Amino acid sequence: MNRMLLIAFREFLENVRTKGFWFGILMMPIVLVLVGVVPIIVENTRVAKNYAVIDETGVVLDAVKQELSVRDFRHLLTDFTKGEEDMLPAFLAVFFPEIRALDEEDQENIVDYLFNDGKLDDNLTRRLTNQLTRHRSAIIDWWANLSDEERSQLSGSISANYFRLVDVTNLEQLKEMIESEALFAYFIIGRKVVEDGSGTKYVSNNLTDRDLEIWFGELVSQYVRDQRLSQSDVDADIADWINEAVSFEGVTLGKDGETEEVDSTDIARQWAPVVFVYFLWISVMINTQMLITNTIEEKSNKLVEVLLSSVSAISLMGGKIIGIAGTGLTIITAWLIMALAFFIGLPMAAGIELPIDLSSVMADPWFLGSFVMYFLLGYLFYAALLVGLGSLCNNLKEAQNLIMPVQLIQMVPIFLMIPIGRDPNGSLAQVLSYVPPLTPFVMMNRAAGPPSTEEYVVTTILLIVSIIVAFWLAAKVFRVGILMTGKPPGAAEIFRLLRAPVTRRVTSP
Amino acid sequence: MNSIELTSVNKFFGEHHAVSDMSFEVPEGAVYGFLGPNGAGKTSTIRMIMSILYPDSGTLKVLGDDQPERVKDRLGYLPEEKGLYKKMKVKEIITYFGTLKGMSRRDAAAEADKLLVRFGLEDAASKRCEEMSKGMGQKVQIISTLIHDPALVILDEPFSGLDPINVELVRDIILDLKHDGKTVIFSTHIMEQAEQICDSILLINKGVKLLDGKVAEVKGQFSSTLLVDYDGDPANLNRPGIVRVNNMGNSAELSVEEGADTQALLRELMDAVKLNSFTLKEPSLHEIFVRTVGESDT
Repeated sequence: MNRMLLIAFREFLENVRTKGFWFGILMMPIVLVLVGVVPIIVENTRVAKNYAVIDETGVVLDAVKQELSVRDFRHLLTDFTKGEEDMLPAFLAVFFPEIRALDEEDQENIVDYLFNDGKLDDNLTRRLTNQLTRHRSAIIDWWANLSDEERSQLSGSISANYFRLVDVTNLEQLKEMIESEALFAYFIIGRKVVEDGSGTKYVSNNLTDRDLEIWFGELVSQYVRDQRLSQSDVDADIADWINEAVSFEGVTLGKDGETEEVDSTDIARQWAPVVFVYFLWISVMINTQMLITNTIEEKSNKLVEVLLSSVSAISLMGGKIIGIAGTGLTIITAWLIMALAFFIGLPMAAGIELPIDLSSVMADPWFLGSFVMYFLLGYLFYAALLVGLGSLCNNLKEAQNLIMPVQLIQMVPIFLMIPIGRDPNGSLAQVLSYVPPLTPFVMMNRAAGPPSTEEYVVTTILLIVSIIVAFWLAAKVFRVGILMTGKPPGAAEIFRLLRAPVTRRVTSP
Repeated sequence: MNSIELTSVNKFFGEHHAVSDMSFEVPEGAVYGFLGPNGAGKTSTIRMIMSILYPDSGTLKVLGDDQPERVKDRLGYLPEEKGLYKKMKVKEIITYFGTLKGMSRRDAAAEADKLLVRFGLEDAASKRCEEMSKGMGQKVQIISTLIHDPALVILDEPFSGLDPINVELVRDIILDLKHDGKTVIFSTHIMEQAEQICDSILLINKGVKLLDGKVAEVKGQFSSTLLVDYDGDPANLNRPGIVRVNNMGNSAELSVEEGADTQALLRELMDAVKLNSFTLKEPSLHEIFVRTVGESDT
């Protein structure tokens, strides 16, 4: 055992000195930065899609524009972009912060007052009521005269960020614009759209991206529905009542059986294991690859025989596996520390409160514990298989062919990540938990469920037994393979090695 | 007392009978040569002594222990194919091999310093192995083999691929070890070296022992040879009473039949060719090797 640890320690030191090790450690901050920064870049560089409308009715488009203007104004109040206060006119800037501070219902009341001739509620402050009454028409004018460009700067939610109406109605010209990609699509609203919905068209060269079609279609549908209701003499309030959709409030069962409201932190918690699985997979891949490379390097460097004159083949194999496990644990510990620093330390230091309580998700001892345990078990399982096969090869190219089947199995968890994350206790997830090569990944994937204690116990026992069997088989191959030269043996020969009785017990010196 | 005793040892690799019914003894303090052509089973035998392979049958005693893996720490082994960790520093790797043989780090480091000085490598101690010349690398490998002061040292083809200076170096190391009372086994297929250095030899071919024993005794088992320098037709060297002619152009080694009259042979040869010199001597190991292996092959 002592000698095994000597081998392990040397292996560890050697790996820590490699570029691969530092690349492995630094990958985490790089991924974190990418995850944090890339969506912002994508958001900032998105180009709004241009569209045009030929309105044969002559009324629908105006109504849609009006509705859109109101919706956008609502976004102005709810999602105002920080730092753009300078763009507000002076009269509005004075009391705008007060409006921003109101709850959604009061804001809706103000929108209703400004655009639908509604009445202001009594619960608004006197000052605010006065300001609004005094500046009502100025606000409406200011808003109506803003360009799309100006509007889009005021809030990220305003529609001009995504879609912009181009004032062209000439068919020939529209076709040309679509050809030259100056226009994403144009709509034709048929004359009898309210009567029977006929004559509507959506023309575009890109029919896979349906965002614009769905968005504009919904706006027109709403107008058409309102028209039909009013033509049928249905009272406006009744129409609203009929139109009102039922929305279910997301609730989850707490530990004590009481229901709790679902918030974004719960959703983050639900999906956190997927992130853990991803890193679990990467770390198992990196470390088993390292093990194979080192084994073959030692063999091709002709060091094996010298080593075997001092230690048994089993000690050598065990030492290598332990040494690289140590390397792997160092990498994932560094990752966890960096991730915790990034999600907890950084916001704390900067005094920012994250919209989602990631710290509790990240630092969840259940997740962290599962991560470390399944890293070790998963690594050991694949390490045994790959070190056995690797010992038969004289160079990496030979190894690539021989370990291909194992690597194909290693790929499976990546494809399972999302389906299992969506349904962590579904039958697919449950069944695959009992397949030892997949157990570490699938069980990590399900950690938010979490699986029942029985499942943890049974799958872990199954996995540990498989690891023991894998080691036993690997040892049989390794002690012969590591001294083998020439072409690596085929499947039949490997099978013969596995069946061959062990000539003599090997005791570690 | 014997350092090594093999009794009826067999080793198979699949269908291949690599070592067959092998029995021999290596006396303590001897310099012992394993001789035989390539693929004779020398390395397999050595690996069994080192407990790298295990015999399929037979018994094997090393340093008096019939469980050879228990005495691994007292053996030093330099395989034919040997390497170093390229990224490790010279002293670091020597110390590492010392600890693998059960030395404490401190003892191993101290011993490494001593040996580096003895081999003139003290300045290279903190160099990486990849920066070393081939000769220096070989010295490092030998130091790694000797760091734990083994009682039995096994060198597999230690001279192969060495330049004359390093051949001398290795030979001197072997003689030093002998002087210190260590047992040294080395394998080779270069007979001249074996003849110079060995006390005893083992000759094997195709996994089978052909002969073994003290060099003088082995030679005694064979009839003498005639060394002649001559001018003339080499065909004329073939006389009755001569078993084999090893013609080298201007000279030849003639194996004489047992009990033949060498004086009569001399007279006959003088008539057949122009003789410049004539020496009657015991056969060289090379001659014995070629004769014995040749016979066993047919």
